[in-house]
Amino acid sequence: MKKILCSLFTVALMLPVPCVVQAETSVDSATIFRFEKRDIGTSKETIMPATQFLGLDVDKLADGNLSLHLYGWGRADLADKSYNNDKTDGSLGYGYLRYRFKQANADVRAGRFFVHEGVVNEQVDGVGAHTDLPLGFGISAFGGATVHTKHLYDESSDGKGDSIFGGRANYRYKGMLELGLSAVYEGNAPTLRNHTNGNHRLMGMDLWLTPVKMVEVMGHSSYNPETRTAAEHTYLINVKPVKQLILSAEFNEHRQKSYLYAWSMFSGAALNPDEKSRSAGGRISYEINQAIEVTADYKHYTRNAGNADRYGADAKLTFLNNTVRSGFGYHYLRAGSAFAIGSNPSASYHELRAYALHDSKTYFAAIDVLDYIFKDKIYNEKSAWEGTLSLGYHITPALALSGDITYGRNPQFSEDLRGLLRLTYNMLYDGKGGKK
Amino acid sequence: MRRFLRLLPVLALSGLILGLVACAQMSAIPVVAAYHPESLAAGQQASCSECHEDQQKGTMKPFSAFNHSASFINNHRFYAASDDRLCATCHKGSFCSDCHTNQVEMKPSTRYGYRPDREMPHRGNFMTLHKIEGKLDPAGCYRCHGRSNNERCVACHH
Repeated sequence: MKKILCSLFTVALMLPVPCVVQAETSVDSATIFRFEKRDIGTSKETIMPATQFLGLDVDKLADGNLSLHLYGWGRADLADKSYNNDKTDGSLGYGYLRYRFKQANADVRAGRFFVHEGVVNEQVDGVGAHTDLPLGFGISAFGGATVHTKHLYDESSDGKGDSIFGGRANYRYKGMLELGLSAVYEGNAPTLRNHTNGNHRLMGMDLWLTPVKMVEVMGHSSYNPETRTAAEHTYLINVKPVKQLILSAEFNEHRQKSYLYAWSMFSGAALNPDEKSRSAGGRISYEINQAIEVTADYKHYTRNAGNADRYGADAKLTFLNNTVRSGFGYHYLRAGSAFAIGSNPSASYHELRAYALHDSKTYFAAIDVLDYIFKDKIYNEKSAWEGTLSLGYHITPALALSGDITYGRNPQFSEDLRGLLRLTYNMLYDGKGGKK
Repeated sequence: MRRFLRLLPVLALSGLILGLVACAQMSAIPVVAAYHPESLAAGQQASCSECHEDQQKGTMKPFSAFNHSASFINNHRFYAASDDRLCATCHKGSFCSDCHTNQVEMKPSTRYGYRPDREMPHRGNFMTLHKIEGKLDPAGCYRCHGRSNNERCVACHH
C-alpha cells in the first residue's frame, strides 16, 4: 500500500504546472524539541526527541474539483531513545486525493483516510465514495486494506485483519430527521499468542431528530454479529429553551463482550465479558453574555463492581476582543474501593483547574494549572499537580516560536520537570476556515 | 431467451429513462459549499446561528444545531459520528487528527501547551488517573485506544 500511496503523491506532484499554480495551498507545520531527564534509580537518561508534524492541503487542482490532503509526523531522538527500540519513528495519519463532483455533494477519495460515519470509525488504505440521492437519501461506501500499527507486545501482529470495507446509507427529512444504517467488516483477525481478540465487525443505526426547534435527540446503537448481541447504545438529548441555555442529558450502555470484542486489551484489562456497564448524566450550559459561559454537569456510572458519581462546574471567560481567554473549574469523583488503586478504600478525588492565555499580534503567553487531590493517598502522595507556562512570539502572522516549561509533583514522580521548544507555521488561504 | 431479447430494447429504454430522471433529480439536489465561506480567528468560537437563524431549504439540518457552545464541544462525538463531512466544512482534517489519529507521538495537550483553552484529553498526570478512570469507564478507553494507539497500553496490560 505504501507503494500505491507513493505513486499517488508522485502523480499529484506531477499534475500540470498551470493547474498547480492556480491551486490553493495550506500548510500546517509544527517542529517540536522536547527536553527531559529521567532518573529511574538504576540508570539516568537524557531524552531529546525532535518531532515534525506536517499537514498539507492543496485544493483546486486539475479542473478545480481535485484536492490533495496529507498529515503525518516523524520523530528523531537526538539523545537517548524516547520510546521503544527505535531512535526514529513516524506515522502517516492520512494522505489522499479527493475529487468533489459538482452535483449531489458527491465525492471520491483514494489513498489513506479516516472514516467516521455512524458506527464506523476506521483508518483505511483504499477508496471511499459518497453521494446524496434524491428524496433525502444518501449513500457512502469504502474499502481497502486495514492500516496496521506496531505489533502488540510479544506478538507478531497488531491483532487486526488485513482488509476492511463498509459504508452507510442515510435518510434525511427536511431539517428534522436523519436516520443512518452503517456497517463495517474487517477480514479475519490473526490469532494472537498471549492476547485474545476477535473479528472486527459491527453494524448499527444512528439517529438525529429535532421534532421542535428547541429539542434535539441524537445517538447510535450498534450490534456485533460475531457475538450476536447489542454492543453499544449511546444517546444525547439537548433542550434549548432560549439561545443562551442548553440542557443536556446523556445515556450510554455497553455490553463488554460485544463492544470490546476486537480489543486485544480485553484479556489484560480484567474485564468481565458478561458485564453491561452504564453511565447517565446531565449538563447545564448557560452563556451569560458573549464573554462568560458557565456549565454544571453530573454523571452516574453503574458497573458490576460498584457505582460512582462525578459532578462539578466550569466557567469560561473571554476579554479584550477574545485576545484574553481564561477558565476555571472544579469536579469531584466519588468512587469506592472497586475503582481504587491498590488496596485504597476509595478512588475519590477532587479536580481543580485554572488557565489563562493572551494572544496578541506580536507575542502570546499561557498559564495552566491542574491539581488532583486524592481522598486517600496514592503511593503515599496526597495529590498530583502540574503547572505549565508557555511563551511565544509571532515572527510573522503565520510563523511563531514558542516554548513551554512544565513542573509538577505526583505519585509517579517526586518531581517532574519538562521543557519544550516549538516552531509552528500555519498558512491558510482565505476561502477556508478553521485556523484552530 | 427470445422473449428476453425482445424485451431487451424496452428494458434498455426504461433504464435509460430512469437514469436520465435520476440524473435530473441528482442535479436538483442542493450542493453544500466545500468550505465555510469565512475563516475564523484562532480560538474564535463559531456562532453559526448568528448568520443562519433559519433552517436552510432542502434536507439540511439547521445551523443552530452546530453552534459551538461548551455543551457542543463536550458532546461533539455525537455530531461528528453522523457524517464527518460536516466537520470538514469548517475544519481541516488535521484539526481532528490532533487528537483522533491512529498513532500519536505525544499528548495533544503537550503539543498545544500554548492553547489551554482547547479541550484536550489526558491533561496533567493522567498516568496516575488512568488507573481509576480505566476501571470506571473502559468503553471510554476503547473509543480511542481499542483499535489504535494501543501498543503503549499493551506494553503494561498484557
